[in-house]
Amino acid sequence: MTFGNPWMLLGALGALIPLLVHLFDRRRPRPHPFGPLAFVLRSQKRTASRLKLKRLLLYTLRTLILLAIPIALARPELKQDAATAQVVKGPAATAIVLDASLSMRWSDGTSLFERGRDEARDALKDLLPEEPATVLVCTESPAAPPPPGFDRGRLRGIVDEARPTFGAADLSRCMDMAARALEENPMPAKRLVVVSDMAAAGFRLEAPPPTVKGPTGAPVKPEVVLRDAAEGREVLANHAIVDLKVEPALQAGPRSFQFTFTVRNFGAEAVKDLEAAVRVGESTLAKGFVDVPVGGTTQKALTVRFPQGGTVVGQVTLAPDSLPEDDRRAFVLPVPRALKALVVNGSPHATRYRDEAFFVDAALTAPGSPVEVSTRDAEVGLREDFSAYDLVLLLNVAAPSADEAKKLADFVENGGGLFISMGDRVNTEEYNARLGAVLPRPLRLVRTSAEREDPDAETKTARLAKVSVEHVLFSPFTGRAEEGLIGARFYKYMLLEADNPGSPGASQVLATYEDGAPAVAVMRKGKGRVALLTSTVDRDWSDFAIRTSFLPLMQRFAAYLTGSLEEREEIRVRVGESATLRPEGTQKVTAVRAPDGAEVQVKEQPDGSLVAGPVTEPGAYSVLGADGKVVPALSFAATLDPAESDLSRVPQETLTAYFGEETVKASSGDADKPAVPLWTWLILAACLAFFFEGTLLRK
Amino acid sequence: MLLDAQTLARLRGVKLRARAVMEGVLSGLHKSPHQGQSVEFAEHKEYAPGDELRHLDWKAYGKFDKYYVKRFEHETNLRAVMVVDASASMGYRSGALSKLEVATTLAGALCYLLVRQQDAAGLALMAGGKWRDVPPRASAGHLNVLLDTLESTEPKGATDLASAADHLVEVLPRRSTVIVLSDLLDENQEALKRILTLRQRKNDVTVFHLVDPAELTFPFDDPTLFLDMEGEGRIEVNPREIKESYLEEFNAFLASTKAACAEADVDYELVRTDEKLDDVLLRYLARRGRRG
Repeated sequence: MTFGNPWMLLGALGALIPLLVHLFDRRRPRPHPFGPLAFVLRSQKRTASRLKLKRLLLYTLRTLILLAIPIALARPELKQDAATAQVVKGPAATAIVLDASLSMRWSDGTSLFERGRDEARDALKDLLPEEPATVLVCTESPAAPPPPGFDRGRLRGIVDEARPTFGAADLSRCMDMAARALEENPMPAKRLVVVSDMAAAGFRLEAPPPTVKGPTGAPVKPEVVLRDAAEGREVLANHAIVDLKVEPALQAGPRSFQFTFTVRNFGAEAVKDLEAAVRVGESTLAKGFVDVPVGGTTQKALTVRFPQGGTVVGQVTLAPDSLPEDDRRAFVLPVPRALKALVVNGSPHATRYRDEAFFVDAALTAPGSPVEVSTRDAEVGLREDFSAYDLVLLLNVAAPSADEAKKLADFVENGGGLFISMGDRVNTEEYNARLGAVLPRPLRLVRTSAEREDPDAETKTARLAKVSVEHVLFSPFTGRAEEGLIGARFYKYMLLEADNPGSPGASQVLATYEDGAPAVAVMRKGKGRVALLTSTVDRDWSDFAIRTSFLPLMQRFAAYLTGSLEEREEIRVRVGESATLRPEGTQKVTAVRAPDGAEVQVKEQPDGSLVAGPVTEPGAYSVLGADGKVVPALSFAATLDPAESDLSRVPQETLTAYFGEETVKASSGDADKPAVPLWTWLILAACLAFFFEGTLLRK
Repeated sequence: MLLDAQTLARLRGVKLRARAVMEGVLSGLHKSPHQGQSVEFAEHKEYAPGDELRHLDWKAYGKFDKYYVKRFEHETNLRAVMVVDASASMGYRSGALSKLEVATTLAGALCYLLVRQQDAAGLALMAGGKWRDVPPRASAGHLNVLLDTLESTEPKGATDLASAADHLVEVLPRRSTVIVLSDLLDENQEALKRILTLRQRKNDVTVFHLVDPAELTFPFDDPTLFLDMEGEGRIEVNPREIKESYLEEFNAFLASTKAACAEADVDYELVRTDEKLDDVLLRYLARRGRRG
């Protein structure tokens, strides 16, 4: 039942008036001495029961009048029941396609999927005994339906056991599959019953409508019955997080990250003061509010500073609406831990900006950097206990002694990070001799591309020509950020040997100059990593130190060399897809667990990577190592397909035109049912009640 | 001149009202008030001390040597006793006059008429369970006693027709005229029959049944708390809801009363307190005249 003027229903409160008058009427009757009281008493006794009945009738009639008038003014209309609206033709083999996509989880107390399931049960109930039927639950990867049969119990079981998924469903494909199943039945008439919320994302209207083979073998359109689980609603209001970016917020301090939500409003009304929050476990780390216009998107940035490093699993959330699944998005975030770096200054200078370590020191201790820097000159620095540091930077150091070199090699072997930059003081022979084990490639000689005094230096200086932006070290330097790297001019740089003779193929050149000479080479050694910059980190050999890219690159060097900058691509996976995991070295993966604790299927690939999935629900997935503990570096979050958040419905006329006007009929959805106005009957009832009330009063 | 109740109500006191009514009646009768009278010998009675010596029959003494006293019977004069019910319910009024005022006025007027034609008029007043009797006499001075008694009557107590009947049996000689003025609202259903038994004792009994118009028509609309005038009873009703039933009950009561009187050969006059009282009396006298 629907109401044209629902606010008029407030008037129905007037029906309480007779009751209130009865309860609260405290009029004092007028006392009157009267002789023939006995007659009054006898009359009252005689009429008591009749009066009681009369009063009850009067009360009922008055209540009816006061109730009927406001309800009638609210203009109620009765929609006919779905079953009665359905036009039944002759018997037909029937396939029921039940939409189980994410959008069917939309709920206003009762989810669309529950309604859809009821519709599917009704569709089964409405079948004639001689009509064979089958059921297809339309998910992202639907299973072929069984051939049409008469086992109604089995079909009802399929409907009962069906659950809504978190993925998108291609109803066009499902209808095709159902049509193929119908072709297996010899009955000439075919019918497709589609139970769905009719969300536009489910249909591919550009594809031809489903057909079945006709008696002559030519394709014919089956009868299509549309059962609308949304019951004719024009709009299914929804807002969703359609994107999330998490970036370091260096300005806010170390281990600070900016979470940028993109929120979209798919409803017909603007959303105001929508709560957005970043949560880890039960605690809310940041909270804000967003306004989203109708059909628009809004970005909201929240900054969170994590107290300590490590992998953080959390979620960003919006205030839940009728489809709460898309109002949250999980994240797995590696938060860098605090690092201790030893800067060994090979060329100290009294003037700070001429000091070899000046720019490095400034870069590593910039606001937001997790690095704690200790700067020593070469003599003192190389005698330090390296095990107290995560990272050692040798800046234009002549050459360590043999013992110091061994200490450095052990440090790297045990997981330390070593950064080496060149300069005039570097002794190539001694480096190659003593540090050969940890150098990515042996040093050859210094090449001068241009003298500073040379007027043509601008054109002669070397620039970076090839940067491996796919590598985690350089991954941020894409687009405009790349210009900061390419714009740097290098007057001198150290040429390297072609490969490391000690461990061939172990080193990797991540950036080269225009002449192809390596600019940055990296290598893994034992548990540690080594990076070699073939120029200086001050302004002696290049102006790189004063370029905008210097600071972030040095910080990434520090993070990379200490292993806190994971050398893996962010695993982006959507529900319905599979995640590719690349364990490091000898790392073993024993299991991948879904957010609900269920184990996800994992397949090993020939290249050593693992494919987990397809994942079926959104949230954080844990990857367990050989020791049964979570490997944070491999954990990942699965997100929903934003297209499923768009619950825009395909208009009935469009669907009718698509499926063919002769074959389609809507058996549910109020919009297409003839409405029976009730208000005239209510007015008639009120008039009759008024007449009877008057008659009773006169009696 | 027929006087309506409103006019009568403006006359203060029973004397004035009764006189006004009486004159109205007389002008309606157009007859001389001086009726002839005669005294007829009834019987002899042996003398006893206290008997009037003037009624000694000396001839009988000569014959029988005993003193006999002659007793006479007034041939045309009658002894009439007005039995006035002065119970509390008689005080009810919805118009100008209460039932008791109408009863005393009627009684007074009748007394006027009786005394005027040399008949003896007496009074029996019942109020608050007590009797106040004025024996019937025909003297003109007696009329003032009657009217004063009527004037001083206040309504109180319950109606008790049964005890009235018992009392009248005691005090009334046979062949008296008994005029009962009452609303007959007695809880005792048999009380009226007791009154009517006076007729069996050769009395000429007339019942003036006094009814207030409100009792006849039950004209109340709003919810009313009816209080018993002769007791503690009270009842709250919506009069419109019970009117029909009440009227049925009351009319049945009037009909049964009238039927009982007719059966006992008792004159019955229904008197509405808003009626013209001389009209009532003329109607009564006319009927009496027809009966001879």
